[in-house]
Amino acid sequence: MENNPVIRRLRPADLEPLSSQSAAPLLVRPSRSYWQDAWGRLKSNKRALVSLYLIIGLLLFTFAGPLVWRVDPALQDIDQISVPPGADRGAMVVDPFVAWDNVSLDDGYQGGTGLSLAGDPTTQSVRLHWDAIPGASGYRVYRNNYPTQDADALGLPLLQINNTQQMYYEDRLDLRAQTYYYSVAALDESGQLTGDYESLQADVVRVITVNEVRARDLSDNPDALQPGDQVRLSWHPLGTDYLGRDMLARLMAGARVSLFIGLLAPLFFVAFGVLYGATSGFVGGRFDSVMMRFADFVVALPFLLFMILFQVVFGIGPGESGIVPMLIALIILSWPATARLVRGQILQIREEAYVSAARLLGASQNYLILRHMIPNTLGVILVTLTFAVPAAIFTEAFLSFIGMGVAPPTASWGSMCNEGLKTMLTHPHELIFPAAMISITVLAFNLLGDGLRDALDAKMRNTE
Amino acid sequence: MWWYTLKRLFQGVITVWFIATATFIGMHNVPGDPLSGDRATNATIRANLEARYGLDRPVTEQYFIYMRNMLRGDFGISYTQQNREVNDIIREHFPVSATLGILAVLFAAMGGILFGALTALFRNRLPDYIIMFLVILGISVPSFVFAALSQLSLVNMNNVLGFSILPVAGWGTVSHMLLPALVLGLGTMAYMTRLMRSSMLEVMSSDYIRTARAKGLSPTRIFSRHQLRNAVLPVITVLGPAIAAITTGGFVVELVFAIPGLGRYFVQAVQQLDYTVIMGTTVFYGAFLVFMVILVDLVYGWIDPRVRLQ
Amino acid sequence: MSALLSVDNLHVEFATYGGIVQAVRGISFSVDAGQTLAIVGESGCGKSVSMQAVMGLIPMPPGRIRTGSAQLRGQDFLGKTHLDGKAICGDEIGMIFQDPMSSLNPTMCIGDQIAETLEVHRGYSRTQAFARAIELLELVKIPEASKRARQYPFEFSGGMLQRAMIAMAIACKPSVLIADEPTTALDVTIQAQILDLLKEIQQETGMAIILITHDLAVVARMADKVAVMYAGQIVESASVDDLFYKSAHPYTLGLKLAMPSNKSDAAHQLQPIAGSPPDLFSPPAGCAYCARCPWAMQVCQGDNPPPFVIGDGHYAKCWLQHPQQERDIDGLYQAVTVTGAPA
Repeated sequence: MENNPVIRRLRPADLEPLSSQSAAPLLVRPSRSYWQDAWGRLKSNKRALVSLYLIIGLLLFTFAGPLVWRVDPALQDIDQISVPPGADRGAMVVDPFVAWDNVSLDDGYQGGTGLSLAGDPTTQSVRLHWDAIPGASGYRVYRNNYPTQDADALGLPLLQINNTQQMYYEDRLDLRAQTYYYSVAALDESGQLTGDYESLQADVVRVITVNEVRARDLSDNPDALQPGDQVRLSWHPLGTDYLGRDMLARLMAGARVSLFIGLLAPLFFVAFGVLYGATSGFVGGRFDSVMMRFADFVVALPFLLFMILFQVVFGIGPGESGIVPMLIALIILSWPATARLVRGQILQIREEAYVSAARLLGASQNYLILRHMIPNTLGVILVTLTFAVPAAIFTEAFLSFIGMGVAPPTASWGSMCNEGLKTMLTHPHELIFPAAMISITVLAFNLLGDGLRDALDAKMRNTE
Repeated sequence: MWWYTLKRLFQGVITVWFIATATFIGMHNVPGDPLSGDRATNATIRANLEARYGLDRPVTEQYFIYMRNMLRGDFGISYTQQNREVNDIIREHFPVSATLGILAVLFAAMGGILFGALTALFRNRLPDYIIMFLVILGISVPSFVFAALSQLSLVNMNNVLGFSILPVAGWGTVSHMLLPALVLGLGTMAYMTRLMRSSMLEVMSSDYIRTARAKGLSPTRIFSRHQLRNAVLPVITVLGPAIAAITTGGFVVELVFAIPGLGRYFVQAVQQLDYTVIMGTTVFYGAFLVFMVILVDLVYGWIDPRVRLQ
Repeated sequence: MSALLSVDNLHVEFATYGGIVQAVRGISFSVDAGQTLAIVGESGCGKSVSMQAVMGLIPMPPGRIRTGSAQLRGQDFLGKTHLDGKAICGDEIGMIFQDPMSSLNPTMCIGDQIAETLEVHRGYSRTQAFARAIELLELVKIPEASKRARQYPFEFSGGMLQRAMIAMAIACKPSVLIADEPTTALDVTIQAQILDLLKEIQQETGMAIILITHDLAVVARMADKVAVMYAGQIVESASVDDLFYKSAHPYTLGLKLAMPSNKSDAAHQLQPIAGSPPDLFSPPAGCAYCARCPWAMQVCQGDNPPPFVIGDGHYAKCWLQHPQQERDIDGLYQAVTVTGAPA
């Protein structure tokens, strides 16, 4: 760079002074208010937008759903208990039940084949018959859901027979349309298992009598039905629970409870926290420190422990519905976080230069509150509110799960999970649906909260 | 620092006193006589309880008896189990809960720090997206759902494979502890991963990391000596609340996995309205959590020179 | 090439959401041992970025060095971490930053942070390195160095921290020290002490200093050579005397006029430069200063001026220096300086 490169010749016009400085680019963007800007940022956040739609969908499901799906969530469909979604819901029409007299061995009984079925196994009854097991002085009859390998693993017997005369059994106990494994085990004189046993597999068919069809209004013309005809049972899109209640209707009913607590409790405690924190922050001084010390104590209380304790104190034992006490307990225990936040925010804004400037220009206290304090804390409060919703839903689910929240027959997602847990191994849908509802709801509110926080606070945009 | 420690401990004692008093007041406002009905199952228990708590005396006197017993570390006798002391119940079952809790906290903290650091290092690349998706999932799924689903899938896996990878429920060996601890720590781990990620990102863009690079340090040395240590500090501060969350989360995990811990006992006591056990375990757990939070704060202060020396 | 450190035609750009920012657009400079080069310019003109790019400190991506080379004693080192077995960063070239408070690790004691460099580059043991760190702290005139070495950054004052930063940067006796606005965050009395310290160390060790600053007073005090940067380019480069007494670029003149002075007459009134620097997302085709220049001509708008040599080691990128340009530049400049308003 030390010696000049070849210098090109300039035209005289090149040396004319520039008349105007219009070449300077105009660096102006259309002005947008804080909320317009935030809304724009939120709209460009795909995850937040999807979760917003999810929440709207959820509200529709909860409040408009029952208008479309008019099934009583407490109604028990005893023909279809613990039915998974999309299960076959046909039933064969049969004659009304007639007790088995043990003598009518005619239908299908072939002697000398060990344990066998007398007649087709139906949900009405399963009839068993067996030949004497050598050396047996009594029998036990078992029914299992899974095949067994060992006489000791048969579990609890349906029946114990202490003689060798009765070699038949009619099972009518809570039969479902599924496969059962029946076993008959031999007993010795002292009533102990000898280890000899026989098993068979019974594929139980769902049946229904004409009277039942009529009672449940399942057919337009019940009188025309003949034994052997098929009728279709009522439809449960998401299956039924262990008492035969419709899952979809229960999920909707449960959503009302879960969202009632999940939305109302945060609304109340955030409102209380804002009032408390704002008062404390405004008054300041000794009053402020006493108020905040009290808030510190409430914060130090172990949250879930005290939620449980509150339920006990309100006299909400197992079997009593504790929605309102839960709401009150949530409010009592959760407000300090918001109060601290708002107080901090108020104290900070009070010291801001623009507030001092406004005060110097003669702004009144009310103007300062309305124009500066409230708009600048609103964002923080909104974000707190959004994050408080999933926390409250979690708490409700937790309490209902351990049996301290809502109680039967009221449904909530947490209590449905609790009930579903018992039948988890055989009917996982009873657990998975309410669990998925909780997870989706919490996920949606969490993502929306993230989106709101990022949208309302430009500084936090990089910190996930 | 000593002054600070003393102050925190004093605050802790006051908080525990507050918890004990709140528990006492709460329990006294339970509708009906705590001994009425089938609560005191027979005359022996009733006589024992009345003698111990002086239930016929005025409330203030009862309060002092209660506080004196608490100070002695005597939490009374169970209502539902004849002649079983609450102390015995705590002594017997708390170690189980503590073992599970410690495992879960370790798992949550180590996993959270590791995954958080990873996501920050791989920011906006595939590992980051995958881990952050799992994190959102971990935050949104309640621990009891995790517990139940993991148990369900374990049962199915064991069935398919024909042998048992891990026991489905129960307590005793290390293999019993793994799955429950994992499930219990999962939510906290997700939370910590998030925190660690943002903390790590902040550290990575800080001026002193630029200085460290200008000094010519290798990336691994910068990571281990400068980034990790500074990014972990804010994560340590949430360890106190995390221990509280894990301890109370342990209630349901113990319930689902049939682990004989104090949490399961507490839930059972609540379901059976065994008042002394509820009061005793509440105060015990409360004190435990309050002092764990203080301990974490003190440890943090000791680690961070900015707090230690001020 | 006899220069100790030379940079040639360096282009640095950043990919951002808004597009590609061309932060540095072809700068060249060199510095000899024992010499101080000052790089002057307003915020965002690319002076820090160019030096950080040379050191390999800008995060890539989003940053990228499009073209250019940097040589140390005639050897290319851009993109390398070591040269002849010696590390570039921390060993050959030391660097100190603007804000010492945030540029030091808050959770590591000062002594360890200084010792770390020696451990890595010189293979010192921990105790050896720490002892040497105390000596270095003494060298930068920190009292009670052995006690101070065990303290943390928050226990230091700003000036003390900058001294510690200097100790850290010179620990391995680098041949070049890059000082990125070393005194901007300090108050004036401390500024002078730090500058004196730098000068003293330079005289002792014979290292070259590249001083990045926006303060012409600092330049006048410290520099041998000055490069004035505007919008990612060096618009004028000269010895310190030429720059102040024979300013050739209107921007340099503008900077001089914007300098506060202790004389109160109209001629010495502080005059800000109107307007703002151009958008580096799409830098103008012509001279970047065109829109703010009171003497802009038609050619300035469309063509970027080449460097015009004015004197020995003095060049300026300005069409006013073109031989065909017949206005009396000195007269124009003089008029501004006296009346306070451009003609």
